[in-house]
Amino acid sequence: MGTFFQVALDGLFNGLLYAVVAAGLSLIWGVMDVINFAHGEFLMIAMYLSYWLGFIWKIDPLLSSLAGGLFVFLVGALTYKLIISHTIGKSAMSALLATFGLSMLLKNVCLNRFSPNFRLLQGTFLGGKTYNFGGLIVPVPQLAIGLVALLLLTLLYALVKRTRLGWAIQATAMDKEAAELMGINTEKIYLLVFGLGGACVGIAGGLLPSYLAVHPEVGGLFSLIAFVCVAMGGFGSIPGALLASLLIGLVEAFAGFYIAPVFKYVAVFGLYLVVVMVRPRGLFGW
Amino acid sequence: MKQRFFGKGLLLVLVSLLMVAALVGTSVADEKVIKIGTLFPLTGPVALAGQRCRAAVETAAEVINNAHPELQVPLAAQEGLLDGYKIVLIHADHQGKPDVAKSEAERLFDQEKVWAIVGSYNSAATKPASFVAELKKQIFMCGCSSSGALTERNFKYFFRMAPTDKTESIEFVHYIEWINETKNAGVKTVGLIYENTEFGKHAAEEGRMAAEAKGFKVVADVAFNPGATNLNSEVQTLKAANPDAVFGACLGGDYTLWVRTMKQMDWLPKVALNYCTGYQDPIIAGQLGEDANYFMGGTGYAPEFAELMPAVAAVEEIYKAKTDPSVPFDSDSIQEAVALFVLAQAIEKAGSLDPTTVAETLHANEWESPLSMGGKVAFAPGGQNIKAMSMLTQLQGGEYKRVFPVDLADTEPVIPMVPWSKR
Repeated sequence: MGTFFQVALDGLFNGLLYAVVAAGLSLIWGVMDVINFAHGEFLMIAMYLSYWLGFIWKIDPLLSSLAGGLFVFLVGALTYKLIISHTIGKSAMSALLATFGLSMLLKNVCLNRFSPNFRLLQGTFLGGKTYNFGGLIVPVPQLAIGLVALLLLTLLYALVKRTRLGWAIQATAMDKEAAELMGINTEKIYLLVFGLGGACVGIAGGLLPSYLAVHPEVGGLFSLIAFVCVAMGGFGSIPGALLASLLIGLVEAFAGFYIAPVFKYVAVFGLYLVVVMVRPRGLFGW
Repeated sequence: MKQRFFGKGLLLVLVSLLMVAALVGTSVADEKVIKIGTLFPLTGPVALAGQRCRAAVETAAEVINNAHPELQVPLAAQEGLLDGYKIVLIHADHQGKPDVAKSEAERLFDQEKVWAIVGSYNSAATKPASFVAELKKQIFMCGCSSSGALTERNFKYFFRMAPTDKTESIEFVHYIEWINETKNAGVKTVGLIYENTEFGKHAAEEGRMAAEAKGFKVVADVAFNPGATNLNSEVQTLKAANPDAVFGACLGGDYTLWVRTMKQMDWLPKVALNYCTGYQDPIIAGQLGEDANYFMGGTGYAPEFAELMPAVAAVEEIYKAKTDPSVPFDSDSIQEAVALFVLAQAIEKAGSLDPTTVAETLHANEWESPLSMGGKVAFAPGGQNIKAMSMLTQLQGGEYKRVFPVDLADTEPVIPMVPWSKR
């Protein structure tokens, strides 16, 4: 029974990490109808920033995650201004291909500047720490990321649902022209949304070097799973992304342990296919 | 009038360009070069290892092309091969993907017109790339891909320097028997953890066969997809089965994730033995710091082997200049340098650039190889180096200590591994 709860806990922690990565992606899609292919690379650059801050100035990832959030917010806003804004109103394919190009660019710049080395931070505040509750091991880095994920998702949800800015975001998502007629600066909303999407993944990426190696390819699978979470939860729905991410985390952990580790992603993508077949708009999609 | 003048001028420029092109073409054709392709994962999850392998081949080419009388390796004293031929390397990247490896091998032979290929680190990439070479009757020199299946195809143009997973598996089991007899280690069960690739699957298969042949029970068989976001289920499965010894085939970042996840789950076997993996990578070992200690693996070269392989140090200096002054050769990259040195000796001995003649010469002779632990290289049918050797090391205090076989050991192994809570 102890093993069952341990596997469940691992699954929940994985799910919360996927949720915070997926939340930004979901927000961008929901408001702008843009799939950001460079989302995984946003995670990767936040991890590099956190790693270098830790390596050079001994700043712990707990603090670096804030810098990661701010930095990737700026990267996101810049991405909108320099790339995405030129694709608005054109075929959806042009934004998708533009972000794909950006992902290649970011990955190759990091490969060139930082080499393909796997970089691990040693001696971080969270790294290696665990709590043991009667045999149930709670890894502190994953716990911290899980709590941060819950906090971020709550804040993001509250921002969208409870504030005037959030209403403006929703209005822009529903009908851009109508929102502009109501005096909403949709250009600023888009910029902010791309920045916020980046900030979410930036904060998560800033924390990850506490236990995960940083390298130029690290964002790839996270990005893929985040797409699945967003599609399964319903494009644009933050609660949907959270629920789908938790489901995916749990399915991954249980399938990995009770069927076979090599089967875990088969189960994840199989579940995705089933959900999409039964409910093409996703769990909370409209 | 103006137009006619312009037309004549244009004609003159075109004729001049054609003449220059013809002259350049003649000089390139006259140049005595042997184009060798290198095919490694220069990007992708194991790019670090691939880039080091490429640097090792570059090191060998530099030694072969220029006179280095100070080096104690074959052909170092002379310049080039066959009275003035120089090796020119053409690099290609297979990204760790078998399909890319196949198409890049085809491109190297068909478009770049390389004479042979050295590569390709990942066994899964080496397999299709060497198949292309065999079809074209061109030589494929494989340094470190360890899947035994590669040399079981009875290819005539394929040659592999490193020991296979089979050799390492047998060595692992000998070691376990030895520690049971002499250290009362009480190892009875074995677990396998491996990436779900050509390399990993074959290593696990060999590990299982070697362990079961000597009466050890395999209680966990854990395959995983390389580049995973976590290895929790994998380590949970191992922990639940609790094998006394684990044979691991986890490359690069997966190795670090495996070690750190075991630490988080506060579990270790008595002995963890690794194939040609992240264990042998000195950078990864350095990054893991204290956590890397007490893991073990088959090692073909580490700087700590200097007294056993005295010729390496001077060559290593050239290699370091091409990579990073703090990064020495590792077990994998050094085998790629050996591959080119052996090929160069065979070309020189054959006195020919006919691939079939050189392949026959490679098979028929024994080659000097001061960069190999065995000191010599000789090939069995199928291309396996029958002189290939490695020994078991254990990371202690961040250094690769030689622990088995006993006659080459410099340190006693620490058994069982020191628990995480006592480090």
